Amino acid sequence: MFTAEKNISDQIDHLFRHEYGKLVSVLTKTFGTPHIQLAEDVVQEAMLEALNQWNYNGVPENPVGWIYKVAKYKAVNVLNREKYKRQYASDVAQQLQSEWTLKPALDYIFTDKEVADDQLRMIFTCCHPSISSDSQVALTLKTLCGFSIPEIAKAFLTHEENINKRLVRARKTIKEANISFEVPIGKALEKRLSSVLETVYLLFNEGYDATSGNHPIRYELCEEAVRLAEIIASNPNTKSTNIYALLALMSLNMSRFKSRVDEFDNVLDLEHQDRSLWDRALIKKGLYYLEMATQQNEVSIYHILATISAQHCTAVDYQSTDWASILELYDMLVQIDKSPIVLLNRAVVLSKTTHPKEALEQLNKIGDSQSFRTYLPYYTTRAELHFQNKEPQKAIDLLNEALKLPLDVNHKDLINSKLRDYSGDN
Amino acid sequence: MQEFMIFIKTKGDHLEGLSPEEQQAHVQKIGQYIGGLMESKKLKGAQPLDMDGAIIHGNKGTFKDGPFNESKEVIVGYFHILAENLDEAIAIAKANPMFHDAEGTIEVRPIKQMEGIN
Repeated sequence: MFTAEKNISDQIDHLFRHEYGKLVSVLTKTFGTPHIQLAEDVVQEAMLEALNQWNYNGVPENPVGWIYKVAKYKAVNVLNREKYKRQYASDVAQQLQSEWTLKPALDYIFTDKEVADDQLRMIFTCCHPSISSDSQVALTLKTLCGFSIPEIAKAFLTHEENINKRLVRARKTIKEANISFEVPIGKALEKRLSSVLETVYLLFNEGYDATSGNHPIRYELCEEAVRLAEIIASNPNTKSTNIYALLALMSLNMSRFKSRVDEFDNVLDLEHQDRSLWDRALIKKGLYYLEMATQQNEVSIYHILATISAQHCTAVDYQSTDWASILELYDMLVQIDKSPIVLLNRAVVLSKTTHPKEALEQLNKIGDSQSFRTYLPYYTTRAELHFQNKEPQKAIDLLNEALKLPLDVNHKDLINSKLRDYSGDN
Repeated sequence: MQEFMIFIKTKGDHLEGLSPEEQQAHVQKIGQYIGGLMESKKLKGAQPLDMDGAIIHGNKGTFKDGPFNESKEVIVGYFHILAENLDEAIAIAKANPMFHDAEGTIEVRPIKQMEGIN
């Protein structure tokens, strides 16, 4: 590809990613949720047309407006062309097919407020609980965030075919379960909102997982999770202290993104991270959201995790970390969430306030369940505690045991480098 | 909220007397009116009708085709709207700029609601 062409295609990929998401949302409302694929195709075509035109004539002054215009007339054409073949459920579709209402309807559905509302509706549609969670994330990335299938595959470290299957399944579920394009109200909203937040947090963690390295696309996943959460937080019906807490948590964790991995892609824990690399602006943003989150007496998992993250972010160095406060927070967290990761992290904190030996004793009490035995951090955390307790052989034994688990290459490398540390040769 | 049909009736082309500029301004005003109804979520649909068709008179199974006479007042379009009550629907109908520059009749009719089945 020529450089100029490549530049233009990059512009379309990045500059218009979010415009893509907006347009797909608006057109999904227009065509109805069973026609998500059609909405995506129309937007895709508009983008391709832009690419072709611009390669020829150069990029126009208002590229976003240009794409909107093409997408609008394509959408109207689709409605008219297929008028007799398809039934479009929405009032908007009817209005776009009538002389009197066409122009006002086009203006109306593209007002900023409607576009924002449609993105919110799209979030609730993509994160509907009848869709499996990995399909939810894939569909959200595809339709709302404008990621291509190869990009999603790269982000999830899987094959494109896999992602395509997830997308097909998700669209099929939406059609079959007759999932409507709306934000639920009343009691139903609370439940749906909490599952939407779970998906957003899942998306964030996909990006944040340090063992997959610091590839730019992983940071973009985190940014997308934050952007979606901000859409939810900016609507008066869906904003809540929980969403602010989640925003606080994500911003604070993201501030440490660059420091989590060294130049050789080795994962660094908090103790070994270069704190000067932490993003001060994101920490500030996180602390602001945390303040917003604590204006009512509600306490969610996100509140506790965000507060823990804030403790780390505001400690000048590792030695001055306020472990006692963090332990209190973990004690609260355990009341809500007894998952292995929480119990393990609590043990690490306990080792700081007391002694590694005490933490190991705690872990021995709870470590018999099957879910622990196949859980890698159960081995690595205990190994580290044994090492700190001056029992390197026990640490090495645990890691050798861990190597028998089904692991990907990144995790294996991580364990092998720890093994070298514990055996004292570098 | 109740649904209403608003039928627009004119005799011939009601915009005949207007200059092209006036016609354009007229169309723009109607666009704004319709946009406003959409924004306040009052509009279900609105469509113009072509100025031809048929008038059929039926009586106990026999039909008589009447002439379609556009020199008489005929329905040229409809608005399907939502309003609190007839008064609001009438106010909405009167706000329609269609007859602010020309002459015509507007028929406002509540859509009959089913009370449930016995």
